[in-house]
Amino acid sequence: MGRRWILAAAVVLLGASVTYAWQRRGMRGGFFDFEDNPAAIPADASEKTEFYWARLRYQDFSGWGGRRGFGRSWTTDYPKNDRLLLQAVRRLTRIHARSMEHVVDLQSDDLFNYPFLYAVEVGHWDLSDAEAKKLREYLDRGGFLMVDDFHGTLEWQVFMMGLSKVFPDRPVVDIEDKDAIFHVLYDLDQRVQIPGIAALWNGVTYEKDGVVPRWRAVYDDKGRIVVAICHNMDLGDAWEWADRPEYPEHYASLAFRIAINYIIYAMTH
Amino acid sequence: MFETLLKYPAAVFSKGEFVFLSGLPGWMLWACALAAAAALGWALWRRRTPGTGLFAGRRWIAVWLLQSALAALLLVMLWRPALSVSTLKPHQNIVAVLVDDSRSMAKVEDGKARIERAKEALQGGALERLQKQFQVRIYRFGNQLEPASKIETLAPVSQATHIGAALKQIALEASSLPIGAVVLVSDGADNRGGVDRETIAELRRRRLPVHTVGVGREAPEQDIEIAGVVAPSRTLADSRLSAEVTLRQNGYQGRKVKLTVSENGKPLASQMVTLAKNGVPQTETVQFNAGIAGAKTLDFSVELQEGEENPQNNSVQRLLQVDAEKPRILYIEGEPRWELKFIRRALEEDRNLQLVSMLRTTQNKIYRQGLDPANPKELEQGFPSTPEELFGYQALILGNIEAAYFTPAQQELIREFANRRGGGVLFLGGRSALSDGGWAASAAGELLPVRLPDRKGTFHRDPAQARLTAAGRDSLICRLVEGADANAERWKKLPSLADYQEVGEPKPAALVLAESVTGNGRAYPLLVTQNYGLGRTALFATGGSWRWKMLQPSTDRTHVIFWQQLARWLVNGSPSPVTLSTNRPVLMDEGEVKLRVQARNKAYAPLTDARVEAHFVGPDGSAGTIELTPSPLEPGVYEGEWTAAKPGSYLVEAAATRGKEVLGHDKITFRREDGVAENFRTEQNRELLEKLAEETGGRYFRLDELSKLDQEVAYSEAGLTVRELHELWNMPVLLVVLFVLKAAEWLLRRRWGAV
Repeated sequence: MGRRWILAAAVVLLGASVTYAWQRRGMRGGFFDFEDNPAAIPADASEKTEFYWARLRYQDFSGWGGRRGFGRSWTTDYPKNDRLLLQAVRRLTRIHARSMEHVVDLQSDDLFNYPFLYAVEVGHWDLSDAEAKKLREYLDRGGFLMVDDFHGTLEWQVFMMGLSKVFPDRPVVDIEDKDAIFHVLYDLDQRVQIPGIAALWNGVTYEKDGVVPRWRAVYDDKGRIVVAICHNMDLGDAWEWADRPEYPEHYASLAFRIAINYIIYAMTH
Repeated sequence: MFETLLKYPAAVFSKGEFVFLSGLPGWMLWACALAAAAALGWALWRRRTPGTGLFAGRRWIAVWLLQSALAALLLVMLWRPALSVSTLKPHQNIVAVLVDDSRSMAKVEDGKARIERAKEALQGGALERLQKQFQVRIYRFGNQLEPASKIETLAPVSQATHIGAALKQIALEASSLPIGAVVLVSDGADNRGGVDRETIAELRRRRLPVHTVGVGREAPEQDIEIAGVVAPSRTLADSRLSAEVTLRQNGYQGRKVKLTVSENGKPLASQMVTLAKNGVPQTETVQFNAGIAGAKTLDFSVELQEGEENPQNNSVQRLLQVDAEKPRILYIEGEPRWELKFIRRALEEDRNLQLVSMLRTTQNKIYRQGLDPANPKELEQGFPSTPEELFGYQALILGNIEAAYFTPAQQELIREFANRRGGGVLFLGGRSALSDGGWAASAAGELLPVRLPDRKGTFHRDPAQARLTAAGRDSLICRLVEGADANAERWKKLPSLADYQEVGEPKPAALVLAESVTGNGRAYPLLVTQNYGLGRTALFATGGSWRWKMLQPSTDRTHVIFWQQLARWLVNGSPSPVTLSTNRPVLMDEGEVKLRVQARNKAYAPLTDARVEAHFVGPDGSAGTIELTPSPLEPGVYEGEWTAAKPGSYLVEAAATRGKEVLGHDKITFRREDGVAENFRTEQNRELLEKLAEETGGRYFRLDELSKLDQEVAYSEAGLTVRELHELWNMPVLLVVLFVLKAAEWLLRRRWGAV
């Protein structure tokens, strides 16, 4: 086989790789992103429903050289954790929920069609002023944002850099145990840190210096939570690995309950 | 001329009974006339000639007709026709002359007051001629009927005109006095509800004719008047209200004037109105906010124009009781939906409404919100199953929930909620609602203002655009911005609904306020309302109005306004167990007020063993209390009367008790106004006077026609009468007709060359 053939094969292989990566980008956003744990598209994914699990696609600092761009932070645990969670929502509640997630970003007005928004790894997000303004408008209209899976002091600071652009006028406060969000369907009286999958190997339930789990929120003028913040915990991993025998069932169950409570709260308050 | 030709006045012909005095039967007259016509026809037919000649062709027919008419007329005269008419016996009967002495009779027209013109006309011979034949009694009437010694003493001082009461009293006097006729001199400006059927029937039973004499101009030259205001008398705080103001004007056609609603001089709303044709009433709708709780006096006014003859009829006052109560709305939702969240948010902004919701989060779990803090167990057992529990709410919203979720007894209870309790029921669209939820076959489905299609698959999660109908343009529920046109434009710009539902045709009494227009251009009723029993029901065939909030700027209040107005429509008019009402919230120059209390228990069954008292507080702080008595005809209804001695606003509070237990209470306001009624409808109401005369067998006269009054009055069947026979055979008009018939024949014959 001559060098020309080797070169041609290399070009074909490169082309196929690029095409595959490009197709994946269409779903995910990152050019070289790969799913953490692939999941099949549900057969009824095209059903029109009342509730859509909208995953926020945001820009972060994970671009080349730390530049701002659509990195892979927003895709963490995607899409398996979304789909397993939605299975639980459909099985355990009367919510008419779509079986598959829907991706929205802050640069499109499509956002306003989905009053519930989930954002993961927000310790990496980088909101522009325009995006922060749009997110604020979304929340003021009645939208609800749930954030999850970010850990430690540094990621909190990054998260707050973005959130303070959205809410320069509102504090972040700890949610009291008696708040309706912990009782709307399940009574969640115990605050347990939900660990990520890494806990299976290292036995540690926290990441970085995020030892103490925090259930925090931003409230509006009427005392309603508009941003629910799950800091120092990884609900997304718990949903994603709920079907893995090694992952403790009580963590997965609690993670489902928290998500369901948050969704029903968002649909009633 | 009339009497010259017909020998007698018109009254004889209008009131007389036609008879023949010959004693021969009437059929014989017709038989003789036919025989004469036949004989004449046979004789002429024999003399007809073909071609030329006197009776050539059909000429004989013309001669036959003329001769037959002449023969018939002669035969009629031979039979001695006459009119039998009932006539008042001279000097034995009373003629009651009723003169209106209300303040409207003081109106000066062409330099002279109406009452002066009336007195002049009566004293110009009409009264004297009456006095020659009858005893004439003069009365004055305004508020009530009173004898007047002399016509000269009459002065326009009464604060109101009540023609009906005056006639009622005169009919009563006719039972003991030989009153042969009534002469009513008035401008007809009755401001106490006109003449009731009972009074007319009594006058007709006594065969007492009322001759009316109209005084005053029938239309002012330049004036704008608020002829009427229809406005709600009670509502909830901060409610959006609509009032219909009827204007009538002369001399300002096409002019734009400002119509204002104000309270204590503070404008609540105003709008420009283009005045319609002269003399034609026009109704304008004005909307305003009720404001905070309390008893209010609203002033509806049209700005005074230059040259108006009557500046005192440009404003009208109405009372409004704004209740501080917070009605409770029960909303049941079958599954978590965005619609619940956004409706809840919209109604939470209304401090006068309370939304209690129960949401089926899972198959067997209910999440309750908006509970009464004093009753944390509210709805703990699920949807109410007793009237006591359900009827404690003022309105009910049935969301995306199937009919089978409710027991048959609960479905009947929902129906009774609207029918008997008088509450408002709203049905929303949804995948388990309406037809898809089996409501078409349920007892409560009867409440729906549409005929649901009997099939599934009517709910579609596809966008649809809301479109106002003509009825919706005028509806308070749909008023998002001021101005009908601006509002219609606002609706066109609303974001599309998230979904829609096919609901079938509206029922006959239903009102379609909005439609949902789908992507393929089909339109389905979206917002439909109707009255049902004592309550109201509505349909909003979507679960996707939340997009009106999420797809518009956060500062936009469209969604909030719409839902607050729909919710207020639902609860407004839902009575409390004890309700107090009065027949007249505004008393015009009188103080007697009738009260009615409807007392029911918590299940809205009549309370027949209650003690009901009404406590009054007058404008000067004076107070009074009466006990109301049970109505013998209506169980649970208590009635009473009270007299408001002074002008001003009064507050009445009624309480129903049983022993020491307070069963319920309610309060209303009413107002006594003196000297205001006569400022309105001051032109002569000729229509009323003519109708009154026609109904009683009398005649309407203008002031310049009074020379014939005595003749008309003489013929009456009331009082002491005698029947007079007036022979007709010798009326000059008959001789003229005879001559004309014969002359016509002669002229024809001359034309044909026979003479």
